Amino acid sequence: MIKVDDSLCIGCKSCSNVCPSQNIVRTETEKMRSIHWKRCKEECDLCVEFCPARALTLVPFDETVQEPDLSFDLVACKICGSRYASEPMLRRIEAALAADSERDSEGLEWIRVCPTCRRSREAEMASRETVLERCRRGQ
Amino acid sequence: MPVYVDVDRCIGCRSCEVACHRVHGGIGHIHVHFVGDFASVPIFCHHCEEASCTIACFSGALYKDGERTAFDVKKCTGCGLCSLACPYGVVWTDKIAHKCDLCEGRAEPACVATCPANALTTDYELASRRERARAARAAAKGGRR
Repeated sequence: MIKVDDSLCIGCKSCSNVCPSQNIVRTETEKMRSIHWKRCKEECDLCVEFCPARALTLVPFDETVQEPDLSFDLVACKICGSRYASEPMLRRIEAALAADSERDSEGLEWIRVCPTCRRSREAEMASRETVLERCRRGQ
Repeated sequence: MPVYVDVDRCIGCRSCEVACHRVHGGIGHIHVHFVGDFASVPIFCHHCEEASCTIACFSGALYKDGERTAFDVKKCTGCGLCSLACPYGVVWTDKIAHKCDLCEGRAEPACVATCPANALTTDYELASRRERARAARAAAKGGRR
């Protein structure tokens, strides 16, 4: 049976992806990601091994214990407002990249922008000179 | 970035997207963005020297292999951390992560080989020569770059 430390779980998609017997069910809505760990009798420990947060452990099967269930509010993109990630996942990335952040004047602010808006922003940056030149020529 | 883009040359035909889809089994890793009516830019992996995706990846599925940011599908759990750690939004995850692999095993990336406008190149010298020529033209016209 799987035991979840809810102070450690970051709400990623790892365990629900690797479970070979569909005992970990992830439900995604527009605003929320929920993960439900069913009571399982398997001896497999793939989810434990592949948990990036080391939040899972295997404990002896016990019918009286409630099945763990966690829900994460998804964070809204600072630009478009679409919900794209769980807060602990973003915090984890901020912590991992913090050492490098000083090189960039904008710091790690981009982490709070969704990948779709990051691409649009990159396109605008890359084409700034071309666009200016074409505007000048067009006048 | 082992594939260089010349935004001035891009005509927005999206051939690179089609080529990428074709060689990667229907999943493309290059997206052409349109900036108003003025410009089009193909957006894809920069193969950053210090790649945030490799720092975020806990399983070692994403790693640096020389200039390339490589991906080992066998180690990926699809957790989604890399997608969130990429500053350019060019790593995707569904069941597993996918990103530009510079068409490993091919002589040249499919997008580069396909681009009819020669806007994409793997040749750093060519890219920097074009950049210098553009700067010289701008200087000759008296404009500031």
